[in-house]
Amino acid sequence: MQYLLTSICSLCMVYSGWFIDRLLGKEKRGKWLTSGVLLLTLALVATLPVYGTSYAPILMTTIILYIILAVSWTMFSGPTGYMSLATAAFFGVGIYTAAFMAGDFPPPVFILVGGAASFILALGVGALTLRLRGIYFAIFTFGLVELIRHVLAFIELHVTGTRGRFVFGVDNETIFYYMLGVFVLLMITAYFLNRSKFGLALRSIGEYEAAAAHTGVNVTMVKIVTFAVSAFFMGAVGAIWATKLHYVDPGIAFNPLFTFIPVLMAIFGGMGLLYGPIIGAAFFTLLKEFLTTTLAKYGLGELYMLFFGVILVAAILFMPNGVVGVIQRLTQKWRKGGPVEEHADT
Amino acid sequence: MSKRLLLIPLALLLVFSLVAVSCDGDADVTTTPPPTETTVPPPDDYDTRTSIVIGAARPISGPLNMIGDYALGPLLDIWVDQINAAGGLYIDEYDRALPVELIIYDDTSDLGTMTTLLERLILEDQVDFIMPPCSTAFLYAAAPIANEHGYIFLGGEGGCTTLTALLPDLPYVFGVLNYSDYHQIPALADLFVEWGVETVAYIYIADLHGIEYAHTSESEFLLRGIQVVYSEGVPPEAVDLTPQLQAAMNSGADAFCAYTYPPISIFVYGQAMGLGYNPDVFVIGPGANFQFYYAAFGPMTEGLIGFGAWNRQTSPEANALVDLMVAATGDAGLALYGDEEGFLDWWGQLFYYGALQFFEQAIVEAGTLDQAVIRGVMATSTFDTCLGPTWFDMRDGGGGLLALECHPGQVGQWQNGIYEVIGPAANATADAIYPKPPFPAP
Amino acid sequence: MFASILDIIIDGLFMGGIYALLAMGLSLQYGVARVLNVSHGEFIMVGAFLTLALHTGLGMNPILTLVIIGPIIFIVGYLLHRTLFSALLKSSPSTEVFEGKSLLATFGLLFIIQNVAVLIWGSATRSYSYLASPVEIAGAITSLNRMVTLGITIAIGLAFYIFLARSRMGKAIRAAAQDPATAGIMGVNINNVLALCFGFGLLMAGIAGVLYSMCFGFYTTMGLGFTIIAIIVVVLGGLGSIPGSFIGGFILGIVGQITNTFEAELTLAAYYFIFIVLLLVRPKGIMGK
Repeated sequence: MQYLLTSICSLCMVYSGWFIDRLLGKEKRGKWLTSGVLLLTLALVATLPVYGTSYAPILMTTIILYIILAVSWTMFSGPTGYMSLATAAFFGVGIYTAAFMAGDFPPPVFILVGGAASFILALGVGALTLRLRGIYFAIFTFGLVELIRHVLAFIELHVTGTRGRFVFGVDNETIFYYMLGVFVLLMITAYFLNRSKFGLALRSIGEYEAAAAHTGVNVTMVKIVTFAVSAFFMGAVGAIWATKLHYVDPGIAFNPLFTFIPVLMAIFGGMGLLYGPIIGAAFFTLLKEFLTTTLAKYGLGELYMLFFGVILVAAILFMPNGVVGVIQRLTQKWRKGGPVEEHADT
Repeated sequence: MSKRLLLIPLALLLVFSLVAVSCDGDADVTTTPPPTETTVPPPDDYDTRTSIVIGAARPISGPLNMIGDYALGPLLDIWVDQINAAGGLYIDEYDRALPVELIIYDDTSDLGTMTTLLERLILEDQVDFIMPPCSTAFLYAAAPIANEHGYIFLGGEGGCTTLTALLPDLPYVFGVLNYSDYHQIPALADLFVEWGVETVAYIYIADLHGIEYAHTSESEFLLRGIQVVYSEGVPPEAVDLTPQLQAAMNSGADAFCAYTYPPISIFVYGQAMGLGYNPDVFVIGPGANFQFYYAAFGPMTEGLIGFGAWNRQTSPEANALVDLMVAATGDAGLALYGDEEGFLDWWGQLFYYGALQFFEQAIVEAGTLDQAVIRGVMATSTFDTCLGPTWFDMRDGGGGLLALECHPGQVGQWQNGIYEVIGPAANATADAIYPKPPFPAP
Repeated sequence: MFASILDIIIDGLFMGGIYALLAMGLSLQYGVARVLNVSHGEFIMVGAFLTLALHTGLGMNPILTLVIIGPIIFIVGYLLHRTLFSALLKSSPSTEVFEGKSLLATFGLLFIIQNVAVLIWGSATRSYSYLASPVEIAGAITSLNRMVTLGITIAIGLAFYIFLARSRMGKAIRAAAQDPATAGIMGVNINNVLALCFGFGLLMAGIAGVLYSMCFGFYTTMGLGFTIIAIIVVVLGGLGSIPGSFIGGFILGIVGQITNTFEAELTLAAYYFIFIVLLLVRPKGIMGK
């Protein structure tokens, strides 16, 4: 049952991503109509706690978490082509901020502060490294997670004298709404980012950085700000996620899997359009839930990461533009001779 | 144009979510009534119930599997098989014996996944009972969740002073395993005094577990006039421990302790052999208490001390548990280690199994599946288990800890391939070897 | 109280030797074949477990297992490149795209190799004892297996350097590293050379795994930590510079041992710190051009 409900809700989220893509696209027809559908689908997700089982919003919270991580990663790495491997760092900063603050402040405060802390960290990191070549940037961001984790563990042990902090739980429905709220905010941000001159500049960087620089775009500035905005969302959901963890220490907060998994989800879904990473994130989260619970008794939970690896290699080999690319090819074939429009550019 | 279009539904949505958030203030946070001992009317599912379902989120995959599969993991299956072989659990209010069904989910060694799955078991699957996840940090996270939902929470692999301090507020939590100041380090320090150990060097893994052992050591050794001449934290990722071993060696301490867990516990001993570092007392734990440690080092372990502890000689029931383990995991142990006892853990497994047997009898005694009633029985009763007469020490009307008197031992030592209990004296299965003999020639 | 300076140097060189082998392997894969292989560290794990199987199962001498494990891992690497990576190379419009795609593909490989290993070998830490006896060198104490390992790593590093500098194949590899397009025109079978480099790269990791297993315990999920160290060393030495990686390995080994001695909890933080500073100050590395 929970699979059915959360799958429907996931489709609703895919739809909202697709809707934004469509708004950004060239086609003008039928927007009034579809915006009504958008409202309906989002309402369907938002009322999940009312009609769903009490577990459905919990599972949906996890799905939205991965959607936000994958989409915000794509927001920067998709158009620029810079492979950021710092997701776990920003996510962890959010988690740890909440661990510091959760006892004394209400959730909206620590969620915002968590996001802001990641934003500031990303500004700093971006200013230092976004002048580097892509591969150096990837390596650098990869090291960042580990550096923060070790330094933090050292500080906790020798300066603050604690290791491990309690985060008292917030009830599940509230967490769900915060997560959904961040998702909506992310969609709005993605929309305006793409609409603005900023988005244009960002895409031109991805296409040909030197040319973009010559046309007067402050290339580094654009990259840094986008990087920081995407980090804000990672930090914000990290702060929300901390309330689900109950117990936080540096090793738990800064887990490199939170770097890899959203990237893989985005690649699988396709990075050219917003709804690609949403498909990837929803699909893999549901797959994981299914393998580690319903099929766990057959020992298939163990195979989750193995499946992940196989699907990833296969996707890179056979679906270079992810699920989105496949969908586009199919719709073009279906339309037969209709205007050919290639969205995905990676 | 389209900007405005978008804003309308979004504004509506925001209003909507705000309303929804403000409405759910009185959501389903159920506070369970305090334990009562009244007899309840026949349960609603008197006719339909076919089994008792027990669920757990365990590390079937990921790094924690390294501990989970060698501790509580296999015992859960054994326990359930034993109950079902005997026809199930007789529950008075159902007037019949019900078979037990076990649901194990894989938390992939990720804390967030574990807490989510635990909630799934409680809310979605509505299991009758839950079993603990693996590792101290995970127990920490899981205990308040179980308590909040009014589920009895037996401890698993892990335990610490910090959680014990919270027990008064967690009436459904029952700690099972022994740990640093309950009562391992005191028992170890007593042995040190008996042997005339004057100086100690130790390293500890820089996390919750290691820091706690280090702190307890400091105070317990000081109390007995034993001097700590070297102590150093090592990160959980440490690989090369020779600098610490050399420093300990140079300090000339009589005893060396490594409060680390695998894989570091394995690295430490291999590197000590390489350096020829063989102090009079060599303590490694957790790690040395696993049978796979003997599989790795064989006769080189002679005289090595670890925590725990129990073995076949502890009691006939303990001996029977080893046989059950061998029947269940012997083939896997032979395949991996060439040792059919390869999955035995001479620290916790007797504790866990005793707690499971205690729990089983408490359910039958309560005659109901109502957690509050069973909790009341557990808090006040003594049952015979593989640990002998077993009961819990309750803390200020809150949760409890397996009573110290029930522990089969605190300190163990490898002697001729057997993990003998050497402390406290009342539990000893053999005389301690002191000083540790030199490493045998390979 | 602390270990002596000589102790630090000897153990630092020993760890450095293992890092050097790993990094040389990664350098071949990235510098020539343009694959930043994140699954590199998995092959040190595979090497270690194969050694355990041959040593405890068949009673083989761990050093002799090099002769069996080396070729196996080399062939695996060669075939991996001939199938997976050459297909990616063909479908990629530019080097940058290929680098991105192959990086992600190796993430996939990482998950596949690690999880298959867990299915076969389980998750517990394994070890065996070999030459685990102390030797004294000018007052410093270390173990015999470490000295043997150090000797073998230096020998292999030098042999490989001579191979690159003197042999025909070595010259082809260097040509391909500098300019694949021209090398192709000059009659070098470029696909074959790239696959050889990838194979040699994995071979280095495999050898490091065999040697590592003689001195340390090992477990199936340990690979990623080594990959990260290898990446750091490669950047330290200069991306694509084989001698740079070799020397960089020893430098990192000694730096690591110094931090390990005085503040063990900061060892890995020190690695990343060096790495990050280096990226910012001199991204070409110590030997880069």
